[in-house]
Amino acid sequence: MPGISMSLGNMFCSRCGDGFEPHEKIVNSNGELWHPQCFVCAQCFRAFPEGIFYEFEGRKYCEHDFHVLFAPCCGKCGEFVIGRVIKAMNSNWHPRCFRCEMCDKELADLGFIRNQGRALCHECNAKAKAVGLGKYVCHKCHGLIDDKPLRFRGEVYHGYHFNCTACGVELNSEAREVRCRPGFAANEMNELYCLRCHDKMGIPICGACRRPIEERVVTALGKHWHVEHFVCAKCEKPFLGHRHYEKKGLAYCETHYHQLFGNLCFVCNQVIAGDVFTALNKAWCVHHFACSVCDQKMNQKTKFYECDLKPVCKKCYDKFPNELRRRLRKAHEQTPKKASV
Amino acid sequence: MNQAPVSCIPNSKMSRPKKVIDEAKEIQNPELDLADKGIASFEEMPGLFNMLNITRLTLSHNKIQVVPPGLANLVNLEILNLFNNQIEELPTSLSSMPKLRILNVGMNRLGVLPRGFGTFPMLEVLDLTYNNLDESTLPGNFFMMETLRALYLGDNDFEFLPAEVGQLKNLQILVLRENDLVELPKEVGDLSRLRELHIQGNRLTVLPPEIGNLDLVSSKSVLKMENNPWVTPIADQLQVGVSHVMDYIRTETYRYVYNRHVSADRPPPPKTNDKSKKISRARQQS
Repeated sequence: MPGISMSLGNMFCSRCGDGFEPHEKIVNSNGELWHPQCFVCAQCFRAFPEGIFYEFEGRKYCEHDFHVLFAPCCGKCGEFVIGRVIKAMNSNWHPRCFRCEMCDKELADLGFIRNQGRALCHECNAKAKAVGLGKYVCHKCHGLIDDKPLRFRGEVYHGYHFNCTACGVELNSEAREVRCRPGFAANEMNELYCLRCHDKMGIPICGACRRPIEERVVTALGKHWHVEHFVCAKCEKPFLGHRHYEKKGLAYCETHYHQLFGNLCFVCNQVIAGDVFTALNKAWCVHHFACSVCDQKMNQKTKFYECDLKPVCKKCYDKFPNELRRRLRKAHEQTPKKASV
Repeated sequence: MNQAPVSCIPNSKMSRPKKVIDEAKEIQNPELDLADKGIASFEEMPGLFNMLNITRLTLSHNKIQVVPPGLANLVNLEILNLFNNQIEELPTSLSSMPKLRILNVGMNRLGVLPRGFGTFPMLEVLDLTYNNLDESTLPGNFFMMETLRALYLGDNDFEFLPAEVGQLKNLQILVLRENDLVELPKEVGDLSRLRELHIQGNRLTVLPPEIGNLDLVSSKSVLKMENNPWVTPIADQLQVGVSHVMDYIRTETYRYVYNRHVSADRPPPPKTNDKSKKISRARQQS
């Protein structure tokens, strides 16, 4: 650009210090003058493409060399950062590249908090702290789960990310995960149902804990049970496939059933293992049923008498003194006939 | 009156006690049946006290008068049956038999029991039916037998039952038929496992309301209470059934009736049971 108002005599090139010939071209940049051949990049000595240069510490550089020599690279995208540079976390960033590692919000104007080597916004930092306090983070949105988490295929979620497989209603933590193929261990096949639909699907509910039964089902007393929840009403030990005894809507183990309901042998006082002989408000092992007077074994066909609700064989009864037999006979006639022996 | 039914049976049909014992020894039979063998003394059974293996000894319908203390040598004995003999006393040693579970001394002539009788470690069933026992002759520790599940005291002479009966917490059967009982102790109501109570043929007028604690009307329970001079409201309920009696004695109305009856302190009804013909009295008669 030719100087007009200045006299050539006191004009000198800013680079080489020489004067200018009368018709020589002069480059003027912010009041400094150059020979055109002197107005070049301080690094590559070539003219500035399209006249664009960058100045740094009194020297001018072409765009390329300036970037190479001085411009910062973005810690995220690796590109040069032109314009506003965010210096943070020991690196340089484009403002649009420096974001919260949890929620992806731009942090340039919001400020950030360093959390275990991550830059987080204030909200996410609070959430991350909450996780440390034992709360769940949704596997889908990574947000904190304030309510109860919905467990699905081994992860935890906000219920509202899912809809019921059957009716499509938005789910909450009450939703039930259903094994598509019962007994199939892998859970990739599992599906979610709302409580209403789940209950209509006929999946057995344990009569004790009221939760669905997905493993082995015990059916007894008109209800379904988890194997480990089907227990003796007295000792509360699970039957685990052992025989149980039912009485008035409750189940008992062998020992407690007999202890409570009297199927202990009157003679040996043990649980009657085989057939039970029942008479006179008592029970006997078949081989222990005997005359209470002479201890002779009796069977179903043996005729016997009753004295104080103990069995007495005919032979022994006939040996009773007459006065006692008279009294027994009288008492027997008095008792209502339904109690006949 | 001479009561000796055994003598009527021809001797040829009876094997002698010694023969039975020898056979049992030979085949190692742990159960010894010696009922109705006309045995008058343990001396007729030589070697018996050395048969340590036997678990049951049945000697009913004999004429034994004395039980020697040596019987307690049979440490494996679980069942001892001496029904219908002429025993007047039992040896103290019996109570120390370690495995004895069932003792039947019914229909004898027992007027007393030995001191310390209640120390049986395992006794479950005790039959003292048809003897001459009453509350004054029971030893002090009689009701310490915690393992007892059945106690037969029918056909004896009790007028009162000691309150200590409430200590028999495993008792399921209590028979007091045809004694002279004037009242029942309220502690009977503590016998929570009781499912048979026989109190028929006594002189009872009221039941302690505590009896209402017991379950005596379920399908597995028996309450026999006929032939007592019950107060009118109980007698009326008994007409309809024992379950009505049980319901009634649980009411406030009955509690009032009972308290009034007890405080009135009327003389007990007279004895009505004629026991003169009982064979347990035979000795006194002869």
